[in-house]
Amino acid sequence: MERTPSQTVGPFFHQALRWRDGHRVAFAEPGQDVVLVGRMLDGAGAPVADALVETWQQSPAGKTPASGKSGNPCGFARVETQKDGTFRIETRMPGGPAPYLDVTIVARGLLKPLRTRVYLAAESAMRADPALKPIADLPRLATLVARPEGKEYRWEVRLQGDGETVFFSA
Amino acid sequence: MNDLSNRPDVDPPYDYPEYGSTKLRAPRQPLVKLPAGALDVPGPLVPRGFVRDGDNDLTLHGKSAPLGEKMVLAGRLLDDTGRPIRDSLVEIWQANSSGRYDHPGDTHDAPLDPNFKGVGRTFTDDDGWYRFVTVKPGAYPWGNHAFAWRPQHIHFSLLGNAPIQRLITQMYFPGDPLLDFDPVYQSVADEAARRRMISVLQLDTGIEGAALGYRFDIVLAGARATPLGI
Repeated sequence: MERTPSQTVGPFFHQALRWRDGHRVAFAEPGQDVVLVGRMLDGAGAPVADALVETWQQSPAGKTPASGKSGNPCGFARVETQKDGTFRIETRMPGGPAPYLDVTIVARGLLKPLRTRVYLAAESAMRADPALKPIADLPRLATLVARPEGKEYRWEVRLQGDGETVFFSA
Repeated sequence: MNDLSNRPDVDPPYDYPEYGSTKLRAPRQPLVKLPAGALDVPGPLVPRGFVRDGDNDLTLHGKSAPLGEKMVLAGRLLDDTGRPIRDSLVEIWQANSSGRYDHPGDTHDAPLDPNFKGVGRTFTDDDGWYRFVTVKPGAYPWGNHAFAWRPQHIHFSLLGNAPIQRLITQMYFPGDPLLDFDPVYQSVADEAARRRMISVLQLDTGIEGAALGYRFDIVLAGARATPLGI
């Protein structure tokens, strides 16, 4: 069967897609708490104030997260960008030598999602992982790496232009 | 176009000048291909308790019935091999019958309806079926260009059973004359693909003497991953 096409999420999704504690990722297991603080900018360098960001990641033990009977799905975050383009996700460090979160961005002006990744690892760790070779060889690799700052990881997403973030096709 | 997606004929491009908001948000660099199967992993699994009774009836949440043409919207969620996608979260949102969203960002000078929030969610059943009760949304003007109006539509968000299946789309109504002028709808280049976003009027899907029926099936990308919890 043929797929149904994608359309923009538009500007009016907030009440429908806002989840209680969507920014706080649930896990069935303990791990190292980390906070991802992102900021999204458009091609003119202006904050993107009306995007929705979703992340999906492995558990601290490096497994695909299962979920409980209630609450939010484990391993998954959904947050809105704020007026200044920022978003904040409270999660746990994913397992693996070069931990990362898969990121999906939807917004007004995006007719289909943007997919990217944010690594909570040094570039050197990414380059050492043979599974990441196709990504680690990218000259724009640095756009996928969050910068540690205390307990927080800081990451800038540029949708277009100078320093444009690497986006992936599925 | 800079879109290197495998199926340019189904999804719209990022860069689509007729839709002005794409101008500063469409990436200019080519997309990079992820390792095969990277997004074809099970998840996320939304717990059953996430949806409460009545969340799929948008007409129940006021002191009385909302204004407008009551309608049932039902259909199946399938993958591209025709298999039902079970136990999967379906979220919808829409304008009220006057074409106004209950959203602080909507400045259209049409009345709010205190009995209509325009938000619903449900899970698909074992055969992939979902069902909502709502009212038909109104068309509304928007700032894309002078005299621009969005056709009547209902927004859908689907998680599927794997990240590769994630889809956000809009459902339109048959025979709407605004479709010919709408850059969001027209951004899908292939006419047959565009038509898959139009629901089918199906009277016996409605409620006798009370609500019209519309059928809207949704087909997501195929996933090889075994869904969690099934």
